[in-house]
Amino acid sequence: MTSFAVMKNVLRRILRDVRTLALIVILPLFFVLLYGNTFSGSYSHLKIVVVNADNGLASVRTAEVGRVTLAVNLASEFVAALDPGTFSVVTVDNADEALATVGDGVWAALVFPKSFSNTVVNEAVRAGGARNFEFEGNKVTVLPGDPVDVPLTTLAIDDSNPLVAQAVLAGLDAAFAKVLDTQQSSLTVNSLLDVRPLYEGKIKMLDFTAPGIIGFAMTLITIMLTAMAVVRERTGGTLTRILIAPVSAWQVTLGYTLAFSLIAIFQAAELFIASSLLFHIRFVGSPVAVALVIVLFAVGLQGIATLISTLSKNEAQAMQFVLFLLIPSIMLSGVFWPLESMPASMRPFSYAIPLTYANSALRKVMLTGHGLGELSFELSVLAAIALFTLFLSVLSMRRQAYTA
Amino acid sequence: MAEEQVVRAEGLRKLFGKHAALDGLSLSVPQGQLYGLAGPNGAGKTTLIRTLCGLLRPDEGTAYLLGWRMPNTRVRSQLGYMPQDFAVYDDLSVMQNLEFFGELYGLRRAHVLGRANELLDLVQLSDRKRQRVGTLSGGMRRRVSLAISLLHKPRLAFLDEPTAGVDPKLRRSFWDYFSALAEQGVTLVVTTHLVDEAQRCHIVGFLMAGRLLTQGTPSDILAQTRTTNLDDAFIALQERNQVRS
Repeated sequence: MTSFAVMKNVLRRILRDVRTLALIVILPLFFVLLYGNTFSGSYSHLKIVVVNADNGLASVRTAEVGRVTLAVNLASEFVAALDPGTFSVVTVDNADEALATVGDGVWAALVFPKSFSNTVVNEAVRAGGARNFEFEGNKVTVLPGDPVDVPLTTLAIDDSNPLVAQAVLAGLDAAFAKVLDTQQSSLTVNSLLDVRPLYEGKIKMLDFTAPGIIGFAMTLITIMLTAMAVVRERTGGTLTRILIAPVSAWQVTLGYTLAFSLIAIFQAAELFIASSLLFHIRFVGSPVAVALVIVLFAVGLQGIATLISTLSKNEAQAMQFVLFLLIPSIMLSGVFWPLESMPASMRPFSYAIPLTYANSALRKVMLTGHGLGELSFELSVLAAIALFTLFLSVLSMRRQAYTA
Repeated sequence: MAEEQVVRAEGLRKLFGKHAALDGLSLSVPQGQLYGLAGPNGAGKTTLIRTLCGLLRPDEGTAYLLGWRMPNTRVRSQLGYMPQDFAVYDDLSVMQNLEFFGELYGLRRAHVLGRANELLDLVQLSDRKRQRVGTLSGGMRRRVSLAISLLHKPRLAFLDEPTAGVDPKLRRSFWDYFSALAEQGVTLVVTTHLVDEAQRCHIVGFLMAGRLLTQGTPSDILAQTRTTNLDDAFIALQERNQVRS
């Protein structure tokens, strides 16, 4: 019976706290809606660039009329066979230009050579025996000829995300299979493609997820520490004492920001060193660039944490607000799932999360060695978030004096 | 020359929901006076102090401290505030608490140390200066809080229940110190729910349900109520007020 009394007391106290009650009810629903909308299991909007130099002609030897030239246009057929749900295809003329775009928002570039159709038809026939084609309205049987010199189709692929790289290859494979099936061939896609991974397959799944996980660990620790510290300072009365002294809200906020930023930087360094030593994660870029990302990111997190502390009456409520922020952070920021694969309805939320930009910037530096110049977008957004949340923190700090 | 009113409040009204914690309250405290704000728990003493200090915005009325309309950041360096809760860092030592708040008031380290030692003598915690505040008793923590509030030698100090949980002998020395400060020109507004304690003040205000029942010197109040101690005077005024309402 005593246990029952304790249980009743716990539940009664929770039921009286409307904000905690609302969080208890809303949080699971929020979680379900997020994962249901995010982890769809399929990729979409994967941008690829195609250069189609194929002249669409195949020179073959037939049983009926000797050597003829067939019009087959296999490269065009291949492009048409790409799943429009998975790929967003851009066609360009210049091969070098196309290859240069890979890794810069483009997941793959596919360059079909002039003799693509010729190669595929001849190789298909060689692999599978004589096949029927149509020539000037009549059915002709193509005979296997001499092996042709196979000028391979170039596939440059951004393998910085192993999951996406696999999905791109699988999607191309499916399209090739469709086209080659119509040729009734046992020819495989691998024999036609010269696959050039941008990072030579050196980026493993662990490398790919490490920057995001480190960013997430920073978010978790920094926000919890800051929010709890500010709430404790307020509920303990010391914040009132500080704010009644001749110091301004911005001085207090800056003091907090400096303290917790130092802690965040120390933690980030610990995370990077431990990940490198224990799991040998890839780190090819500049530590200075990483440090800059970390500092801006940490300042933004402080601001968010201070705002959370203003909204929370006590530490328990602060913790629940933190969860509201952390769950979308890990799900929507592209740590595991590229933004391209998010449903359009979820993407605005992704772009509102600081970790999205920190993750993107850290990946660029750590995985691909990009310099500060190439991080200008992410750094600008992180700086804007830092300034904006710092400004809101000052306002919130002023308000805390009146709510303490 | 007119006496300077260091604290001046006019028609203060503060609502919490429908409950009026301050109900059209006006008061004034001249410089160098020890003003005792007495009343039972829930009378509105803390709300009044927080409103005067600018920590709560009144729904109606205005407050002036040292001639400045509140809230105003310019009075902060001359204002001492001891909240009712301890408002000290439990994980820091007594001296570290004093050093931190001394820095906030822009005091030099040497000055803070000298002043801290003086105040720790007063609150009888000199032998505990290196001890973590969290390991001290409630009464001792309140004494640390008092020392912090007076560290920067404020011209005006609001002390919310400074003697709660403090033993009678030390309480007496606190009141002696408050009187000495008042003689030096410091104005003090001290709340207490121990009405009789207010006997030591120059002026006493009896607060009840957000209103001042009366305000005057202890002898005036005793004469007015024809009683012999402030406890009886308060009860008499309370009953009179209930009859009226």
